[in-house]
Amino acid sequence: MGLGLVESGKMPKPLTKLLSLSRKYSIWVYQWGLACCAIEMGAAFASPRYDVMRLGVIPLPASPRQADLVVISGTVTDKMAPAILRLYEQMPDPKYVISMGSCANCGGPYWDSYSVTKGIDQILPVDVYVPGCPPRPEALLEGVVLLQERIQSEDMAERWRGAPIIVE
Amino acid sequence: MTAITDRQKLQYIAAQAADARVNVELETEGMTLNIGPQHPATHGTLRIVARLDGEQVIAAEPIPGYMHRGYEKLTEVRTYAQVTALVNRIDWLGSFANEVPFILAAEQLMGVEAPPRAQWIRTLLFEMARISNLILFLGDMAVQLGAVTPAFFAFRDREYVLDQIERVTGGRFHPNFDRIGGLKDDLPQGWLADTKATMDKVRSFCDEIEELLMGAEIFQARTRGVGVIPPDVAQQYGLSGANARASGIDWDLRRDQPNGMVYPELDWKVWTHPDGDSFARFWVRLQETREAASIVEQCCDGVPGGPIMAKVPRIIKVPAGEAYVSTENPLGEMGYYVVSKGDLTPFRVKIRSASFNNVSIAPWILRGVYVPDIITILASLYFILGDIDR
Amino acid sequence: MSDDTTTTEAETEAAPADEQRDALVERFRDALGDAVVDTHVLAGKDVWVRVATEAWAEAADVARNRLGARYFGFLSVVDWLPSPFGRSMDSEVDRVLAGEEAAEPPAMEQGVTGGSTRFQVLARVAHVGHPGDYWGVTLKADVPDDTLTVDSWVRTYAGADWHEREAWEMFGVSFAGHPGLRHLYLPGDFEGHPLRKDFPLLARQVKPWPGIVDVEPMPGEADDEDGEGAES
Repeated sequence: MGLGLVESGKMPKPLTKLLSLSRKYSIWVYQWGLACCAIEMGAAFASPRYDVMRLGVIPLPASPRQADLVVISGTVTDKMAPAILRLYEQMPDPKYVISMGSCANCGGPYWDSYSVTKGIDQILPVDVYVPGCPPRPEALLEGVVLLQERIQSEDMAERWRGAPIIVE
Repeated sequence: MTAITDRQKLQYIAAQAADARVNVELETEGMTLNIGPQHPATHGTLRIVARLDGEQVIAAEPIPGYMHRGYEKLTEVRTYAQVTALVNRIDWLGSFANEVPFILAAEQLMGVEAPPRAQWIRTLLFEMARISNLILFLGDMAVQLGAVTPAFFAFRDREYVLDQIERVTGGRFHPNFDRIGGLKDDLPQGWLADTKATMDKVRSFCDEIEELLMGAEIFQARTRGVGVIPPDVAQQYGLSGANARASGIDWDLRRDQPNGMVYPELDWKVWTHPDGDSFARFWVRLQETREAASIVEQCCDGVPGGPIMAKVPRIIKVPAGEAYVSTENPLGEMGYYVVSKGDLTPFRVKIRSASFNNVSIAPWILRGVYVPDIITILASLYFILGDIDR
Repeated sequence: MSDDTTTTEAETEAAPADEQRDALVERFRDALGDAVVDTHVLAGKDVWVRVATEAWAEAADVARNRLGARYFGFLSVVDWLPSPFGRSMDSEVDRVLAGEEAAEPPAMEQGVTGGSTRFQVLARVAHVGHPGDYWGVTLKADVPDDTLTVDSWVRTYAGADWHEREAWEMFGVSFAGHPGLRHLYLPGDFEGHPLRKDFPLLARQVKPWPGIVDVEPMPGEADDEDGEGAES
């Protein structure tokens, strides 16, 4: 049982809080741009008008191995889904997923298509759903802020034991 | 996931050792390079499998389909009004331009024609879509060559154009604004003046890009003479739009087949370039962005008054028949072959999207180039994944 | 049957272009002889030429090398079988719009220029690059029901490669002489040919189109219903 202080839940409360605060404002986000939403994600992350970095989110990791968060933005097809799963498996824990846009949430306008996966949550756990087709950049930023609130309040020990996280 | 047995581990080690021996002897064995399906610099997912000999590509094959959403099947179960909402998302950078050929095909089958004001506004929004599309190309091409700054410029100035589109249509880039027989709404008050001001910004963006990139020695060295497409090959593969014009083919559907639009009444020019290389494709698109800004301004001045909808029935049933209508979209010729049986839904819609043909030349053009040039050539061919895979 | 369908507007302007298209049809007839089965000219707009199945590859050669249509637009297939599933949209609103009688599918009926088989291959080529002289033509041919094979166009138009792969994948129509008919869009283990009319969209079979159930009642409608929408 080589669990450290954090994982075993024996960390003093103030330290946990500090740790969560640090994690909250240093999210490295991997952009998994798939379709139209990728442009809005690009606008949110790269455009001077929206500028995600002021939220403490860094959108340019070199590989999924360095990422804390992945934004699945766009239509996921059945041909693409295995690659997404593989990417998700490469990310180190703790990892978070934002599903951006109707297509990634539930299939969206392609709900009856023969080749589209109806919702990315069928293959990996999603933390924040951002609705819209495509969502505005502000909506994605809102999603990021919600995720940060969640990171602030989550209990690392719970997460380590695999218990589901409850967000208020 | 199955557990790896010891035997498999040993086999793996043996294979690694064999590879190492080959490397030591510096034999240039063929190597397969897999690019994609996802790459941080792209929006969308195209996979390219290239067989390399050293640094040179022997054979390359794009594998599309990671974005295939089955449009042609879905149109068969959607009404004509629902189809326009769907086809917005084919070329997602210039969405309004996707609706127009479909609407024109349906109008041709029904025998209706939009009133003049609607035609002018259609042309106006069509060119706005072109600008919002090409601006991102001008920035993105530089990103692919390693210069990041123009992308920020592009995103900055694209927002101004999107703001104007949003004011009319309500959507930043999926307007769903075109209707059979006209348009959904009229222009808001004061919009035309603001649009003309925005076009000044577009033009200064073009100047900025020109200063920043066109004269840069590195940019020239990396694009001049790279990926040359002769005009005959371009036609065989069905390259259209700026890709064809950069190969010296003087063809623009806006001039040659201006159905349902007001291009003949405007003063503009078709730009061509004789070289056919990546630089020419960039140059033609840069000029086209400027030309589009000028067309938008002329449209702002020339929009006549009058109704924006022709008389069409509320429930649209398109009479039986077949029609193929194509327009000069930002990416090239985009056409819809609509087969109707007189129902609420089309019987069959073949979507002829520009990028599909533009990328199908990749196996031909990538043979024999060096690895860094793959990115340059593909960036200059300029495809949008939704437009390839549909 | 090269007749003109009723054109309402632009009749006078269209007349010269119409002559041009008629002349084009004549040139096809001269080059291919009896292989031209049927033609159709829509004055001022478009032209269709249907050729015999055996002459499909030859038609490409004639169009490109003799008539100058060097630009390849697209190649695709149409499945003329009336869909056994309809729109799979059996909501109340659709029944009102379409009428109740749409129970049995109508007989198979090929479109412009006719035909006799379930599948038809069609392609679009054009003459481009000369300002003021632009024309395009849609070529069609029947695909035999028993073999489902036509000749490939790859030797004439290299760009037909991907289009034929797509048609093979989506309709199951083979192209003799194509260098490699492999999956283009779909994953390798996909079963069936999605664009065939008898390929069901399973999502629609499992979960019918909801139609108007989620829509709030219109102001006048809420009264004669039992008022569920108004209460909640």
